[in-house]
Amino acid sequence: MRHSRLPRLHRPAQLMAVGLLATSLALTACGAGSRTGAATATKVACDFTNPASATTVNVLAYNSSAVDPYSNTMVSSCTHDNVTVKHDPIDFAGQVQKTTATLGGDTGTYDVIETYSFVVPDLASRGKLVALDDLFAKHQATYKLDAIDKSLRDAMSYKGKLYGLPMQTQVLTMVYRKDLFAKNNLTPPTTFAELRDDAKKLQDAGDMKYPIALPWSASSDISTAYKATLNSLGKNFVAEDGKTPNYSTPESTKAFEEMKSLLPYMDPQVTTFDQPKVQQQLYNGSAAIGIMFSGRMNDLVQQKNTKLFDQFAFAAPPAVEKGGKQYGALSVDGWSIPFNTKVDQDLLFQVIAASVSEDASKASIPAAFPARTGLDQSASPYAAAAEKAIAGAPPAEAEPWVPPLTSATTDIIGSVILGKTSVAEGTQQMQAAGEKVMATQK
Amino acid sequence: MRRREFWVLVTPSVIVMFGFMLVPLYRTVRWSFQKVEYGAPGTSVGLSNYSGALTDPRLGRAVLFTLLLTLVVTAFCLVFGYILASLVNQLGRMRPVVLGLVLIPYVLPHVVGAVAFSWLFDTNFGGIVNFVVNGVTGGMLGEPLWFTSVWPNRLMIAANAVWFMLPFAMLMILAGLQGVSTETLEAAEIDGASPLQRHLHVIIPSIRGVLGFVLLIFTMDVLRIFDSLIALSPQAVSLGNESLMLYIYNVAFREGAVNLGLGSAISVLTILLILVLLYPSIRTLVREAKAA
Repeated sequence: MRHSRLPRLHRPAQLMAVGLLATSLALTACGAGSRTGAATATKVACDFTNPASATTVNVLAYNSSAVDPYSNTMVSSCTHDNVTVKHDPIDFAGQVQKTTATLGGDTGTYDVIETYSFVVPDLASRGKLVALDDLFAKHQATYKLDAIDKSLRDAMSYKGKLYGLPMQTQVLTMVYRKDLFAKNNLTPPTTFAELRDDAKKLQDAGDMKYPIALPWSASSDISTAYKATLNSLGKNFVAEDGKTPNYSTPESTKAFEEMKSLLPYMDPQVTTFDQPKVQQQLYNGSAAIGIMFSGRMNDLVQQKNTKLFDQFAFAAPPAVEKGGKQYGALSVDGWSIPFNTKVDQDLLFQVIAASVSEDASKASIPAAFPARTGLDQSASPYAAAAEKAIAGAPPAEAEPWVPPLTSATTDIIGSVILGKTSVAEGTQQMQAAGEKVMATQK
Repeated sequence: MRRREFWVLVTPSVIVMFGFMLVPLYRTVRWSFQKVEYGAPGTSVGLSNYSGALTDPRLGRAVLFTLLLTLVVTAFCLVFGYILASLVNQLGRMRPVVLGLVLIPYVLPHVVGAVAFSWLFDTNFGGIVNFVVNGVTGGMLGEPLWFTSVWPNRLMIAANAVWFMLPFAMLMILAGLQGVSTETLEAAEIDGASPLQRHLHVIIPSIRGVLGFVLLIFTMDVLRIFDSLIALSPQAVSLGNESLMLYIYNVAFREGAVNLGLGSAISVLTILLILVLLYPSIRTLVREAKAA
């Protein structure tokens, strides 16, 4: 029996086929990423006592324009003698997953982890982080650590002990198109009512179909937005008794109503938008007002990112109601030492202290808003707005129950905003979920 | 082959199979009867993880969505994979070039391909699909909410699955077509069989084994679809477009308490479901292997 055979390949066709596949594989390799290059990072003094044997310090930190300067400085400055500092690229969601995994057992993968004020109380209360107070006192003079803002150190503390050395802070900051505001005689809104008015005028003028861009992804960011709204109305997740969730209060209902009142001015698919997508809307000119964490602001004024780079101005975000606190959230990023590291903790502290030294912090401007005080931030286009936002932000609810409450209620918040669940039903569901979480808190 | 040679050759495979398949399977089954948190020994909870999973309406929705997606994508890829393979089989010197082009989606990591694919539908990143279809149809498409409406989102997910899986179906079927006897085809042609009759009564029966294999692989692959949904369906839970694997991930790792026990129970149920669905294909393949 004969079988049909593949015809013999001609050389040019063979070469083209090989080329196409090679290109595909090369593209695939690009997608896989590479180790963060610290070649261009700022070099600072990192004068630890050289360990007797080769030591590797594995660092877990997500990549962003605000965090990278610190990670890269750590790698470039502290890799010498017997110490190698390693940091692989990862996104924020990946960091969250790996933090849980590395802190899970008696041995972990990482020796330094990036933490933030939202998670520190929970991790510290479960004994997952090393208290840094003694090491801070020991190395305070060498690395001038007393210049790190005391209030930010407090935000990284739990029950009076420091568990994270702050590097930079992020605060919800408002960005707006100054050209369109000038054209329509608008002023930056200071309340949600003014925000709606400005958006309506931009719509009516035909400048913008959806003038407001907010990161309201129903699977994550929506919870931050709800908390910022609730905080602006004077309530935390949990009442002052430390037991009762505030989800069924009138302020919670009001928070949902105010959030939903912005929907006519936002893209109908806003519940799929994270911060990068909001940035994209602003880059494209399809939105005129955005509220995001300050670490995202410097990207907006980069000419390589958008032709509108010189049309953005910054301000503190509005309050939900006149006379109330800002629609605000303050997040402090810092470095922590996991309880299960096998590397010398003194060495690790010096590595993280070097990365937040004065020179390293200066070099991070304007990409980041450093935790150190007394630095010249005139090069940062959004620093003044961020400072005002920090001053007006509601006080942080630094409690271990905030992360589990957030996880338990995020989908419900998304469902209410999407209109699949009524506000009344949603707040009741959240209250029930919140009570269940609080019952497990010690 | 001597006994010693046999064991030298077989042992590495046995070790790999044991380490990477049986141990994880054993841990999954064990955890499915426990309450498990990272780093802490599990505590037995009996069948409560299974009762929790089976009473969760999300499981039913995830099963329905995944089965529907598997059915549509597999049927589409089998039919169009066959058509595409038949066309490519007719090509001469351009065949390797076309094969190279068609295989690009297959070698891209799913999540990278899915992000790029989502941009075709996202007006923030150009949204070229809306632009082109509206241009061709005079605006009939309008502005569908690809990411927040149930059926447009399902259509996009299915289109993406077809985009990256069709090349595999085409490649396998093309390999099968190489084995079809030209003598039989010529005999059918001489007997007056039309091209369609030759496909239906000669070629397809000849490559039945390959088609069965493609069906088997597709059933397994689409049932396990996961990473592309991260980019294509950010609201999968609320839309009811959560696949079984995404549901397991959400329960076991994302939603707060990191419930590995419940996630493991759902995994065991998923394995059983896959075995039930694959049983006819496996039985046919085994029969054909025995007959050969």
